[in-house]
Amino acid sequence: MEQQPEFTHAQSLELIQSMIDKARNKYSENGFAYLLWGWAVFVCSVTQFILLRMHFAHHYVVWFTMWIILIFQLIYARKRKKQNKVRTYTDEIVSYVWITFAILMFLFGFMFGQIMGKEYYKYFNTALLALYGMPTFLSGVILKTRALVIGGIGCWVLSLVGPFVPYDYQLLMISLAVVIAWIIPGYILQSKYKKDNA
Amino acid sequence: MEFKDLDPILHSQLRLAVMSLLISVKEAEFTFIKEKTNATAGNLSVQINKLKEAGYIEVAKQFKDNYPQTTCKITPVGVKAFEDYVNNLQSYLGVKK
Repeated sequence: MEQQPEFTHAQSLELIQSMIDKARNKYSENGFAYLLWGWAVFVCSVTQFILLRMHFAHHYVVWFTMWIILIFQLIYARKRKKQNKVRTYTDEIVSYVWITFAILMFLFGFMFGQIMGKEYYKYFNTALLALYGMPTFLSGVILKTRALVIGGIGCWVLSLVGPFVPYDYQLLMISLAVVIAWIIPGYILQSKYKKDNA
Repeated sequence: MEFKDLDPILHSQLRLAVMSLLISVKEAEFTFIKEKTNATAGNLSVQINKLKEAGYIEVAKQFKDNYPQTTCKITPVGVKAFEDYVNNLQSYLGVKK
């Protein structure tokens, strides 16, 4: 596009419209974080369920792997931020939604631990399901991704059912929640990203 | 109805294209703007500099993996100028608001 000082007013508006369209929907979401966390939580919840059935005393230790996943995610996010040629307001809002979620997870874990003592994890799962729904639903609305909206609602439905299910089976509900909320939408986002950037 | 003059800084094809891209995103790299506007690097550099001198955009230069990287971001002054430009255009074209 070379410099052309004279152009009509109608052409100006058309140009503005076409440039805004080019920048719009330029999300950098490639589904990686959804798949990483989805599979990590899936494997941990199923493993804890198996360990519980085997009456293994320290069944909860599997969740310590989350710290490794978190470090990996932070390194990956930093690398990706450098690679991105553009940062949209949408990208920024979605990342703050997930930061809010991470902070709430930490606060809830801390509060439940302090109030309920050593066995708090028995009551934590249904709260977790309700929490999982929040960033998933919001990201779905912001990114206009129906699978995430459905996933978020799915988490909330599971959180309502949770209190009526024995503790160890609640772990399998967590596995189911991450399949519908993160793993399936993660693959959808991944394929969309590959298609858009082909 | 009295028409106001269109801002000469913005009433230029490439500069308007750059501003329209930047109004839609938080920040964008030089290579992204070049790709979307199909401009040559030389021409784009000159126009970006003019927008920067007018205070409409901020330009940050840094190194990424040993390569220079230029990132552009619209300023509040730029947003205001862009809004005024669009409003004036609408007046000229008789678009009802």
